[in-house]
Amino acid sequence: MSDQPLTAAAIISFTERLEDASATFYEALAKAFPEHARTFEGYARDCGKHKVQVQRTYQETITDALEAGYSFEGLRLADYAVATDLPGGANLSDALRMALALEDTAIAYYTRVAEACESLLATIPRAFSRVAKRRTSRREELRDLAA
Amino acid sequence: MAILEEPIKRPLELQNYIGGEWVDSEGDKVDVVNPATMKTIARVPISTADEFDEAVQAAREAYHEWRRTPPLARARCLFRLRDLFEENFEELSRIQTMEHGKTIDESRGETRRGIEMCEVATGIPSLMMGENLEDIASGIDEYLIRQPLGVFGIIGPYNFPFMVPLWFAPFAVATGNCIVVKPSSEDPISQVKIAELAEEAGIPEGVWNIVHGGRTVVSAMLDHPGIKGVCFVGSTPVGRDVVYKRCGETGKRVISQCGAKNYALVMPDADIPRTVAACMTSFYGNAGQRCLANANLMMVGEGMTEAQLDGFYKEVADAFVDAASRITMGYGLDEAVQMGPLRDPGKAQRVVGYIATGLQEGARLRLDGREFSLVGDYPKDAFVGPTVFENVTPDMAIAKEEIFGPVACLMKARNMDEAIDVIHGNPFGNAASIFTNSGRWAREFQYRVECGNIGINIGIVAPMAFFPFSGMKDSFFGVLHGQGKEAIRFFTESKVVIQRWF
Repeated sequence: MSDQPLTAAAIISFTERLEDASATFYEALAKAFPEHARTFEGYARDCGKHKVQVQRTYQETITDALEAGYSFEGLRLADYAVATDLPGGANLSDALRMALALEDTAIAYYTRVAEACESLLATIPRAFSRVAKRRTSRREELRDLAA
Repeated sequence: MAILEEPIKRPLELQNYIGGEWVDSEGDKVDVVNPATMKTIARVPISTADEFDEAVQAAREAYHEWRRTPPLARARCLFRLRDLFEENFEELSRIQTMEHGKTIDESRGETRRGIEMCEVATGIPSLMMGENLEDIASGIDEYLIRQPLGVFGIIGPYNFPFMVPLWFAPFAVATGNCIVVKPSSEDPISQVKIAELAEEAGIPEGVWNIVHGGRTVVSAMLDHPGIKGVCFVGSTPVGRDVVYKRCGETGKRVISQCGAKNYALVMPDADIPRTVAACMTSFYGNAGQRCLANANLMMVGEGMTEAQLDGFYKEVADAFVDAASRITMGYGLDEAVQMGPLRDPGKAQRVVGYIATGLQEGARLRLDGREFSLVGDYPKDAFVGPTVFENVTPDMAIAKEEIFGPVACLMKARNMDEAIDVIHGNPFGNAASIFTNSGRWAREFQYRVECGNIGINIGIVAPMAFFPFSGMKDSFFGVLHGQGKEAIRFFTESKVVIQRWF
């Protein structure tokens, strides 16, 4: 997979999967740690919003005149694989460690794809940057929680 | 990488849409074949002249009420149609990929462009407003009103089966006219889906009609006294010698958008990586089957010695060939695919014929599109890979004629004057691009080049829905263009009223 070129369609699909997996992960955390359910449920809801925002920006911006098939040279999706299955018996500290790793990867992904298509795909990179910023804020909250 | 689900599960039996009814044609049927899989996905009728006449009669009947429908109410129908396009965005896009072969990104881009036409046309209450002036003489006022004309015919091309008829249809309908659309018989499914959605949007019966077919329907449209004007997008021989000529003879308005052979100039100060990325989309997007595709890439050595120009040329050519050689081909519903097949094997063979011609003419075949591999296991019949010729001169057939396939011709010019002379030696005038960081060169280029659509660091100069889709020389025949305000003028007659009250 890593050697295949990445079209905009492929990037959008990967983004959808990343946000879906993140949402499922935070929903599991909300169930496992009811004392923090509100926070984790909020994160899961935000993942849905991120997905919709990126999808909508892509669908509203994509035209045949943009370099949709050629904007993500050198990017390897394998670099952004995430672990989102919470192991049985994991405590809050384990879960937060996983969450932080997930956010690190997601932030790196969104930052990299925004850079890759910055000059070629008009408003799409801005949508990626917005999500990177939101997930950076989330990472700060998770760090506070873990402290 | 994932193959997206096909929205067409079994071959569709297509019908005409006349007067709000889906009706079978008496004509023979031909197969609509997915060029990537070579599987039949629909059967389309080749309708008769009588069936076309029925559609015109239905449209004429509908016209009397439709033109009296307030513009705001007509706009609301288009709002609903636009919303239905959004709701069905993905299905509409995947159908284009299945019937044409383009990649899913390209299809989604086409859907978006089509939606934008609808969005602009919903502004009809403002767009259609007239003009007035009080007291042209004491106590006498004069004003201009725009009135619809009746029934228009729209002939769609195969390369943009969804979008191109929408360059015209929403504007025609918004201004109070009725339409008969003849989709390309090679990929007619998108237009059938549009008509289904138009019906769902509440556009009254007879306002939006579809008659499938070929030359018989085109001839009937051009000759029919009930057709006030024709919008055509296709090849120059048909657009100039048949459509434009016959519309002149029968007194019809005409927009005839035709062929192209577009040049892209690369100046010494261009950002080469970004230029090459833009060129990949421009030269190989839609497998080269678009009238805005660049076909000839010319490195311009303005202010350079010959040796410097050779070095500059080599740098760009190497980057271009490297990028082109890495383009992935296959079924457009595979998200890994950057280029799909041509529309059918005959078109692929035509491109292969041009590759042979280029070799006979003495051009150097740097990248041979006859040799390629596909992502996935698909028949190769309709595919041709990215092709690059070097040592091309402007007099060669591969540099002059519209190949309509993924073939790039690389050239050199000593300076911009020489480059512009070469562009002007080309009979077409659809589009031209320049890649530069110099405002002076860019302005010089846009000022002097005789092409309807100019790109500055843009490879595909596709005008937005609120601008006209321009074109010059052998690329356009008519006066007013499709899209935007010019389309409003095309689809309306200006009536002037002078009044005084005793």
